[in-house]
Amino acid sequence: MCDTCGCGAPAVRTIDVNERLLALNTAEAEHNRAHLAKRKIFAINLMGTPGAGKTALLEATIALWRESRRILVIEGDQATNRDSARIRAAGATACQVETGLGCHLDAHQIHDALHHFDLGDGDLLFIENVGNLVCPALFDLGERLRVVVTSPTEGADKPLKYPPMFRAAHVVVLNKCDLIAHVPFNLGEWTEYVRAINPHARIIQTSALSGEGVGELLAEIDNVRQSFFPGISA
Amino acid sequence: MHELSLARDLLAAIERKLDRSDGRVARVSVSVGSAAGIVSESLRFAFRVICEGTRLDGAELSITTVAARSRCADCGIVFHFDGLIGQCPGCGRLGGELLSGDEMILRTIEVADV
Repeated sequence: MCDTCGCGAPAVRTIDVNERLLALNTAEAEHNRAHLAKRKIFAINLMGTPGAGKTALLEATIALWRESRRILVIEGDQATNRDSARIRAAGATACQVETGLGCHLDAHQIHDALHHFDLGDGDLLFIENVGNLVCPALFDLGERLRVVVTSPTEGADKPLKYPPMFRAAHVVVLNKCDLIAHVPFNLGEWTEYVRAINPHARIIQTSALSGEGVGELLAEIDNVRQSFFPGISA
Repeated sequence: MHELSLARDLLAAIERKLDRSDGRVARVSVSVGSAAGIVSESLRFAFRVICEGTRLDGAELSITTVAARSRCADCGIVFHFDGLIGQCPGCGRLGGELLSGDEMILRTIEVADV
């Protein structure tokens, strides 16, 4: 190429795109959403810190609902099928996705997992995402409700430190609420920080072990489910 | 590390837009809202790695960061900010309702026509 005028340089052709990244995942998520809607299956993306109590909350949910609702669970972990074993022991159907190095579930994995189930009309599908307050917030799975679970042992400032996750939440659960009095955790501050990042999220305190607040969480899930599928029976 | 997932997705999105006959890609331009939480250098690194051996090998990834917009939950004013969380310039309240700024958009692909 000529240094003076640039002649001889290859011509460059610009292709205008203006497309969102993760469009492929979003398209697969929309496909999942439509597929589930045809069967009136309500999907919940359960996210949160590792150890916050996501699986324990599912066990508590299954204990209360297994006689009245058909519950399916997709479990996402880097390794082991320990959580899906717990779900089956609790009395629900589970499919384990081991993500290996993957730090989040994506819509394609959900699409494949759905083929492992014998889906029924009106089923409740819980997707327990990989424990992680960062990446799962970016990946639409085809869910209707996003629940983020944290606990007092993490400190009050996590909503400020992980804004995308708390922004993405429809419901923020503070599990292990029975520990509030025993750890340095300021409930007022935490609540204020959740509200700062997400003025609209519903905040619910629970203890999966004692059952406190679980009824309130399930009532909220039911409310939202009814809003998407009016008149659906339990 | 979601920058790697994003880089893979970006490469796939670019390849979908290119014809088989298209040659070397010289530059790719993306715009990223500041509230998306993307670390530009990590994305550039991941993209460089992902593109090795493809027709995008050596392509420049140009990243434009766009300021985010929030509406204050207390006084209602809409303001721009950089970073992940804003602070209302009116009343000082942190955060607010995010109106825009977490988007990640593939803008253009510049193909070198030999």
